[in-house]
Amino acid sequence: MPELRKDPIIGRWVIIATERAKRPDQFSAQAEQEPTEKPCPFCEGKEKETPPEIYAIRPRGNLANSPGWDLRVVSSIAPFLRIEGDLDRRGDGLYDLMNGIGAHEIIIETNQHIANMADLNDEQIAKVIACYRDRALDLEKDKRFKYVLIFKNYGWAAGGGRIKHSRSQIIATPINPKRVKEELVGARHYYEYHERCVFCDIIRQELETKDRLILDIDGYIAISPFAARFPFEVWILPKKHSCDFTSLEMASRIDLARILRKTLAKLKKGLNDPPYNYVIHTAPFKRPKVGYWKSIDHDYHWHIEIMPRLTRVAGFEWGTGFYICPLPPEDAAKFLREVQG
Amino acid sequence: MSELRRDPIGGRWVIVDTDHPSKPEEFEYEPRTFRGGVCPFCYGNEAMTPPEIEAIRDPHTSPNTPGWQVRVVPNKFPALQIEGELDRRGLGMYDMSNGVGAHEVLLETPYHEKDIYDLSGEEVERFLSMYCRRAIDLVKDKRFKYIMIFKNYGAAAGASLEHPHTQIVALPMVPKNAMEEIRGAHHYFNYRERCLFCDMIRQEKEEKNRIILENKYFLSFCPFVSRFPFEICIIPKKHNSFFCEISAEELPALAAILKDTIIKLKKIFPNVPYNFIIHSSPINGDSDTEYYHWHIEFMPKLTRVAGFEWGSGFYVVVTPPELAAKYLREV
Repeated sequence: MPELRKDPIIGRWVIIATERAKRPDQFSAQAEQEPTEKPCPFCEGKEKETPPEIYAIRPRGNLANSPGWDLRVVSSIAPFLRIEGDLDRRGDGLYDLMNGIGAHEIIIETNQHIANMADLNDEQIAKVIACYRDRALDLEKDKRFKYVLIFKNYGWAAGGGRIKHSRSQIIATPINPKRVKEELVGARHYYEYHERCVFCDIIRQELETKDRLILDIDGYIAISPFAARFPFEVWILPKKHSCDFTSLEMASRIDLARILRKTLAKLKKGLNDPPYNYVIHTAPFKRPKVGYWKSIDHDYHWHIEIMPRLTRVAGFEWGTGFYICPLPPEDAAKFLREVQG
Repeated sequence: MSELRRDPIGGRWVIVDTDHPSKPEEFEYEPRTFRGGVCPFCYGNEAMTPPEIEAIRDPHTSPNTPGWQVRVVPNKFPALQIEGELDRRGLGMYDMSNGVGAHEVLLETPYHEKDIYDLSGEEVERFLSMYCRRAIDLVKDKRFKYIMIFKNYGAAAGASLEHPHTQIVALPMVPKNAMEEIRGAHHYFNYRERCLFCDMIRQEKEEKNRIILENKYFLSFCPFVSRFPFEICIIPKKHNSFFCEISAEELPALAAILKDTIIKLKKIFPNVPYNFIIHSSPINGDSDTEYYHWHIEFMPKLTRVAGFEWGSGFYVVVTPPELAAKYLREV
């Protein structure tokens, strides 16, 4: 019998389709026909081919936009949102609109031409995490922005484009994104009733039952969520409650780097290097005006959602927001526990 | 400057690239292809499917034999099962229930390689009338709260079989997106005592720049807030909450506008994969749904949804709907 499961945070129902279930090893990424790779503008020595750098880690103190860096951040050459201008909220009949103001930056994670973050070492990933934090804190200073979304598209099918150089993107938006708002509302609702953080409760239950636990190391856990939307969806959460990714302590960065790399390496090895997306969900910028999130420090809990692209999202999912996951998360977790990361 | 636009129904914001809008030739999509092999849905292979639920057939032909024009069978690999109770229960902090529901496959034509644009208006009308018949039948099962009728066309849009088909799913709960639309429409109605969709039709007819086609009963337009480039909405001009209550006069007009819209899209994007979904009011509830207005959401699969969209629920529309409508009008 297939199961319907409800996400405890936002209340979305998903179908765990046991009848059409495949074995975990049958989900391996297909060698999809990919368009030819483009010449890489992100490698060391090609600094002039990108917009000027916004941020860089240059251990030997070389000049900006020259070789000798470990990590670089540049503006997107095709930004979704523009940094200059005013929001200018307005109406058009019954419709509402505003100018597309925001920031859109590319984090070049390595000076080597390495495609998958899983192949970077822990120290390099810790630098990427430190950069996420620094960029988020810098963008917070711009009062027009409400949220910063940090995410990664790896592989063609995941929107990674034709350049195979490991990178992440960071977008600052003038409104809180819908998906995040749903989580904030859901988490606050849970807190009002239970006076506990819903994510802390999830962590507690997952550590107890262990069915969906993939990794439990150094203060972080990686789990297959109970109401997963996709086969092999993985969430990474800090065990210590914190609503805000930017409050991450120095010492904790290498620990987060380790669990992130191990998880990505397990996916790469177990599923034949699948395309994937990940996103960091964190609390919005805490502007003084925003009084209605009074309990946000207690009720929200930052985390990373990793979504391998192994199945195609079809009309049913787009139309309903109701996902069919063809693999029980318990089976996915068991499979990933057993793969060496 | 790009624009941020807010969907008046669900409240979703999208980013519309009005600065450097993508032209049709700039999209790299995976066209629909035929892989070949034996098709269980083809004429003559009736024994390869589960027994048929309903069909439009020649007189004096028996079920599960040739002689049909439209045929409905249970999905061989159903996402939900028809037998059993819902049995809602908790598992620690989590909630779950049994996956009870219906999952049917509607074969639009006996011909493997005939798409909607190859069919005659009468043939399209015939399978649309079967959509209604199945919806009316499924409403009778009081366990179901929502009926989803949708089509995945082409592998990139999630179709695992090539034969032209539509899927019908009856759900024991109202899905999230539908609930958001209904709440949004309700909110609007409470405030203005008018249907949001009727207001939208009025504004679109006045502004005209997003309209693709119009006939006596239907309007086809690119919504002000699309999630995808070249997204299309087909909506009845006369207010009606339930798709299955479509009138006999409206049905041929729907067949015509659906077919003509797809023909236009196909001229710009040959063999483009797409999804369409019929949005209708929930069923078997006690809620009053006069404020909801059924419509078809039509989404060509031209771009890949990436981390930003998944993580934020924001969508980036690289061709503004006004421009997409212009291309579609003029082709």
